[in-house]
Amino acid sequence: MKNRFLFTAGLGVLAAAAGLLGGCKKDADSSEPTVGTVALALEHVAGPKAVALNGTTYQTASGETFSINTLEYYISNVVFTKADGSTYAAPGVYHLVDVSKPSTTSLTISNVPVGDYAGVKFVVGVDSTATKADPLSLTGDLNPANNMYWVWNTGHIFMKLEGTVTSAGNKALTAHIGGYRAPYSAIVTAAPAWPSGTTLQVRAGQAPQVHLVANVLSLFDGVTHLPLSTFPTAMQPSATSVQVARNYAAGMFSVKGVQAN
Amino acid sequence: MSLRTTCLLVSTLLSALGLVVASCQKGGGTEPDAPAPAPTPYTLTVPPGFPAPIIPADNPLTNEGVALGRMLFYEKALSSTGTMACGSCHQQSKAFTDGRALAVGVDGVANPRGAMSLTNVLWSSAFDWDGAFATLEAQAQHPIENPIELHQSLAAGVAKLQATSTYPPLYRAAFGTSTITNDLTLKALAQFERTLISANSRYDKFITSRTGFTADEQAGLQLYTTHIAPGVVRGAECFHCHTQPLMSSQYAGQFFNNGLDLTFADTGRGAVTGLAVDQGKFIAPTLRNLVFTAPYMHDGRFKTLEEVLDHYSDHVQMASPNLDNNLIQGLNNPPFGTHMDLTATEKRQVIAFLKTLTDSSFVADKRFADPH
Repeated sequence: MKNRFLFTAGLGVLAAAAGLLGGCKKDADSSEPTVGTVALALEHVAGPKAVALNGTTYQTASGETFSINTLEYYISNVVFTKADGSTYAAPGVYHLVDVSKPSTTSLTISNVPVGDYAGVKFVVGVDSTATKADPLSLTGDLNPANNMYWVWNTGHIFMKLEGTVTSAGNKALTAHIGGYRAPYSAIVTAAPAWPSGTTLQVRAGQAPQVHLVANVLSLFDGVTHLPLSTFPTAMQPSATSVQVARNYAAGMFSVKGVQAN
Repeated sequence: MSLRTTCLLVSTLLSALGLVVASCQKGGGTEPDAPAPAPTPYTLTVPPGFPAPIIPADNPLTNEGVALGRMLFYEKALSSTGTMACGSCHQQSKAFTDGRALAVGVDGVANPRGAMSLTNVLWSSAFDWDGAFATLEAQAQHPIENPIELHQSLAAGVAKLQATSTYPPLYRAAFGTSTITNDLTLKALAQFERTLISANSRYDKFITSRTGFTADEQAGLQLYTTHIAPGVVRGAECFHCHTQPLMSSQYAGQFFNNGLDLTFADTGRGAVTGLAVDQGKFIAPTLRNLVFTAPYMHDGRFKTLEEVLDHYSDHVQMASPNLDNNLIQGLNNPPFGTHMDLTATEKRQVIAFLKTLTDSSFVADKRFADPH
């Protein structure tokens, strides 16, 4: 009898405790989470060498040498592709990579539907809707204060590389690529080849990382070879800026691997 | 189930219940010193088009913290001689500069550099001309302790404040403790400095309405924001470093050699990073309120805006190591022009535009004045 009373009391306390615990917790969702996060981590190289903004010199395929003191660019409109060809376009991603700030060389994309993916593509730059918006409305990485913006009728600098051509009398090398108006739109999409047999498994509670390598030699080669010694200084939207954009869309990015984490 | 087991279960559950209840409760218990009321969050208004302010998570702005910081900013007990405060070299009437080429400390010794404006300092990610400090809290200790500035250890200043009847209650209101520390003092100073927002210039009104500029001012803005395409488009390249809307490189934290010298008496950023490629580089300070901040450059070598424009147009040392690419390539008169070569009209237009960055309400705002 006594036993039974205590046992009943114990159950009552248990129920009370459970109720209080529930009261302290945030709203619990009994259904399985359906989204996960993916990180894109960028490693910057110029051919075989890592990019460093410290005077290191790099060599192009044609033997020209140069150094880099600024390398910044936007990644936006990231799209993940499944093996069956279906896609997920992550909304609202506008990320400024500034190689002088290591924290900016990776970006995390949340709310990606769980599943097995086998591809990623993204705009190198900013879409026309965002870049021609009123600058007073631009927030975060798109704000002009980030020093990647011309004026309201030209929009953002999508890709900025500044350096010195050491093989051409230390000539200044400046590539400010941008522009959204025909015929000089520099809005391009990079869709790097996906390594066969590799799967990007997006799961709740996991944070897989896609390791991308970005090779800056591709700005000046690939679709169109642009010798550094004669690379023009006119860096408003132009035929040259479109050539550079097509070069880096085609060849700058490659997928080195996926880490499950 | 045995009695012992059941009792154990009950006691375990009761203690669990106690923990749960405790974790749901706030505070509780009586302390000898009743807790100070929580400070009131400071209402910070971000002007249209400005980026999100840079405020450390461990130092949110409160009315009480800002008020304490304002007292401290003008507190001469923070100097060894009791004769100077932060506000001595950062004078509100001069947009928080001092009108001198080089700042002079309590012992009459000049700094190698001038006092920087504090206009919109809450949008800075790199402090001082060379970016030696990453937060305002870290920066604020340097001028207090520097032998050629206020020349007193912060700990000595804190001891002086602790001995007053004024300051302990102010710290208690701002931070919940009457015990004054270096850390809290720097936090309060930073809170006050972060309220020094200037966005009420004619430029700001023009940007929101796209009206109200004279023809010269509009032409000056066009030159300011234009990258030179030699032989095709004339410009003045200003925006590359003095980026809108803050008109500085302090948000992006970027440093440039603007061609003042062929060799460097002051190596600037290079002394911080130790890199040859950073020698001669300095932050591009805000151009807002520049009618109040003469003389110009890190060493105050130019007395007037006309001298500044003459420098960029005609006198940049084109062979200076690490000279900014935009100055190397920004030649308006190819093929024979060797510099930016602005015309007299263009210089006048740029200056007309720069003067629209003046915010007279900022230098008169009573909230920023000496409260002592």
